Amino acid sequence: MSNATLERTRPRGRGAPPSADAPRRRRSGWWLLLAPILAFDVVLFLTPLGKLVGASFADNAYQRVLEDPLVVRALVNTLTISLASTVVTVVLGYIIAMVLWRAGTVTRVILFAVVLLPFWTGILVKNFAWAVLLQDNGMVNAFLQGIGLTGAPIPLLHNRFAVIVGMVHCLLPYAVFPIFSSLASIDDRLGLAARSLGAREGAVFRRITLPLSMPGISAAGLLVFIISTGFFITPVVMGGPGDMMIANQIDYYARQLTDFSGAAALAVILTVMVSILVAVYQRVLKAGGQHEDN
Amino acid sequence: MKTTNPQHRLLALLSIPAFLFLVIPTAIVVPVALNDSRYITFPPEGISFAAVAGFFADRAWTSALTASLQSAAIAVVIGVLLGATAAIGLHGRKFPGQPAVVGLILAPMIVPTVVLALAFYQFFISIGMVGSIVPIGLAHAVIATPYVYLTTRASLAGLNPALVRSAQSLGAGPLSVLRHVYLPIILPGLISGALFAFSVSIDETVMSLFMQSPGATTLPVKMFTDIQFNLTPKIAVSSALLVSVATIGLLLQVLFVLKRRSSTRMLPLAVSAQT
Amino acid sequence: MTASVISAESIPGTGRAAQGAIELRQVSKHYGDVVAVDELDLTVQPGEFVTLLGPSGSGKTTTMMMVAGFEEHTAGTVLIDGRPVDSLPPRDRNLGVVFQNYALFPHMSALENVEFALRMRKVPRAERRQRAEEALGRVGLGKMGGRKPRQLSGGQQQRVALARALVFNPAALLLDEPMAALDKRLREQMQEEIKTLQKSLGISVLFVTHDQDEAMAMSDRIVVMRDGKIVQSGPPEEVYNHPMTDWVASFLGDTNLIPCTIVERNGEEAVVDLGGLGLAKVRDRGASGESYAVSIRPEHLKFRTRASAGNGCAATLVSSTNLGATVRHRLTAGGHELQLRELSSDRGTRILPDEELWVGWDADKAQLLVLES
Ligand SMILES: Nc1ncnc2c1ncn2[C@@H]1O[C@H](COP(=O)(O)OP(=O)(O)OP(=O)(O)O)[C@@H](O)[C@H]1O
Ligand SMILES: [Mg+2]
Repeated sequence: MSNATLERTRPRGRGAPPSADAPRRRRSGWWLLLAPILAFDVVLFLTPLGKLVGASFADNAYQRVLEDPLVVRALVNTLTISLASTVVTVVLGYIIAMVLWRAGTVTRVILFAVVLLPFWTGILVKNFAWAVLLQDNGMVNAFLQGIGLTGAPIPLLHNRFAVIVGMVHCLLPYAVFPIFSSLASIDDRLGLAARSLGAREGAVFRRITLPLSMPGISAAGLLVFIISTGFFITPVVMGGPGDMMIANQIDYYARQLTDFSGAAALAVILTVMVSILVAVYQRVLKAGGQHEDN
Repeated sequence: MKTTNPQHRLLALLSIPAFLFLVIPTAIVVPVALNDSRYITFPPEGISFAAVAGFFADRAWTSALTASLQSAAIAVVIGVLLGATAAIGLHGRKFPGQPAVVGLILAPMIVPTVVLALAFYQFFISIGMVGSIVPIGLAHAVIATPYVYLTTRASLAGLNPALVRSAQSLGAGPLSVLRHVYLPIILPGLISGALFAFSVSIDETVMSLFMQSPGATTLPVKMFTDIQFNLTPKIAVSSALLVSVATIGLLLQVLFVLKRRSSTRMLPLAVSAQT
Repeated sequence: MTASVISAESIPGTGRAAQGAIELRQVSKHYGDVVAVDELDLTVQPGEFVTLLGPSGSGKTTTMMMVAGFEEHTAGTVLIDGRPVDSLPPRDRNLGVVFQNYALFPHMSALENVEFALRMRKVPRAERRQRAEEALGRVGLGKMGGRKPRQLSGGQQQRVALARALVFNPAALLLDEPMAALDKRLREQMQEEIKTLQKSLGISVLFVTHDQDEAMAMSDRIVVMRDGKIVQSGPPEEVYNHPMTDWVASFLGDTNLIPCTIVERNGEEAVVDLGGLGLAKVRDRGASGESYAVSIRPEHLKFRTRASAGNGCAATLVSSTNLGATVRHRLTAGGHELQLRELSSDRGTRILPDEELWVGWDADKAQLLVLES
């Protein structure tokens, strides 16, 4: 099965030529292992996506959806909500990553588990929990009333604030890990050196830690933004009618309007956007890796 | 020296809200499910299993649970088979089309789930495969397979392809190499991959929503539909069930990380977070 | 590049007052049950070059970190220029520190690295730039200021680290194995350059190494550490030629250790019984213990004619090895195995194994010491 490797390492020339059918048998043995996944992905991944792209070109769909004010609104929502969530997530993620970085081994493992818990929990569970917390008679309102900040419950649910809260909660683990690994690659002695040269803690952070963790921050920011643009559940569960994002618009076209070509066009637009961002993300990852090497 | 200075104390102080923000929502789920009240409140007014009993007495919810387990079973079986064979097939091998093959294997992770949902929705209608849990399970398998591939590949990272060659030169046939050389090494990766696959499937909502039918409504879809009208104790029970699954997955992962002394290795580059 | 490229000329503010005295009084550091440094007393006089020399884990880095203020000591007092600095953070101790891997800031150019301390001290921009450029010039890197650390060779990085540590006129310089990452030739060159720079600046230096040759080459005084304690301290020649214990003698290089019993001690000198080698006059530092030996470095053993006066004995040659500049002979004498090293150029007539020879040594090159092991 891994005879292909064998074949390549065998010195050429001289020795007796392999029998005519041997190479074919070897190659087929090796492809046998890749064949299932390739067949599966071609039939169940590429074909549906291809059909989707094909459908998107019917009925002048692109022009139609881009002229729809609801779509434009959803695109604007997607950008603003994703941007806001990304900023909040990266800031919170940075704080958490710093704590993980500074923690001792045992504390670090426990805190890692805490960060990973929402990662393993499904989005509906998380959104449900936030809905319980943020509803009018929920814990957050009870707390705000308890400390006298407000007399009557503040509407915390079904608005953009709630959407961002819900999204940030889902996104945080994705920000913590890239930032943590870029922090962890900083030599501790750089901080010591800076202190010996007269830097206070604030200056050490501003001039050493922060710039050196920049690759982690940009990777985290991009990754989080990429994921944000595809959110579908949270705007429905936690947002109001004005907080629908592009994914919700796809759903609306497909299942309410049963306008497949329109939905497909929107889906292609979203995929292209995400793919470009993913390409940039991989650049950033590579650049970050190079920085570490040196 | 690491914790004594005031800046680090400030950092620790700043981080407390961040950690509470992470933990509290997950932590309240189980108590809410056991709340002794017809309304959803926190903190609970008393402990009762009434809501749990109600959940399991409700056909709509139990069949959703069954549907979820069925789709997860399909996703895990297909994911493990395809992900593992792909990782072994690509191990220690370089050929002209290799980056493209790896790219194809990982691609389902970066396509937004809503796009896949739409594509599958159209596709399965067009081939007349609707009204059962099978297409949902297959769709889940598409997004779960890359995870199994990644975890298996990670567990193969330490295996020298020369070892495999030497086994073959000793006369071992392909099946025997699979069983005696690869299987013991990939087993941890397979198990964690299966875990990921299960978790991806059990929590997936968007694709299941698009492809739902009366006989094939998964737990998250049922929750999603109900939650838009009201926060009910049955949603809470369902959430608590899923949180228990998540906790088991998390504990296994932490054990794994502890054993391997690597904290980031197990993290998939998942872009297809179940949004 | 044999001539030193480092010079101390035209450095602003080089007219240092006599400053840079470092003193440790009964300083200890415990990590839980581990005693890393044990009631250490240590002084560095202004302008003195003191080297902490010891095997791995002997507490050298810990000692230096406590002086720099990065580690809090468990007990004792650290004084700089007579002032206790125990509660001062590193930034207020005014010490230049060079780390083993240099710890240059990778995202800043060489010049920005050097400027850093001045920036932290709010030195105006123009002056900052000028002083940093001068400091780089001083270490022979005047034209390299724009380069990032990764674009510099190991030796150049080390010079940037030196310039960075010196640019703010620190009271003293602390260097922790600064040359461990350099190859042998570059290391020897940097040793000379650092020494020249230190002399011309008149700055005190606390230097850490586990390389005895480096310590011998650079130090005014060597402090030999073992298990967190000082076992001997003194000028390099003295520590080398007159070790107090067999451990120090062996740690500092090859030596012949001949067990002995004391016949007579009078001050600086003693008469000992070397067993098969007869009686001999040796140097005595008055150390006392349970058992004694005499240490004679291989290069202090000489081939002699039987007639010449002083310590000596008959020996048989076992083997000779040419080491390039020197030749090492293995001998047996009076039941002891001895090593004798002579310069290849001094090598007289070729001697053959099994030949009867006479070897001798000067009384002041044989050191009476305490056998620890
Ligand atoms: N943070 C720490 N926690 C526990 N023990 C420590 C710590 N730092 C140092 N030690 C212990 O203190 C002792 C002295 O260590 P130190 O680093 O000072 O030795 P060293 O002489 O610099 O050795 P090397 O030549 O290897 O650098 C060692 O036994 C070490 O294990
Ligand atoms: Mg050290």
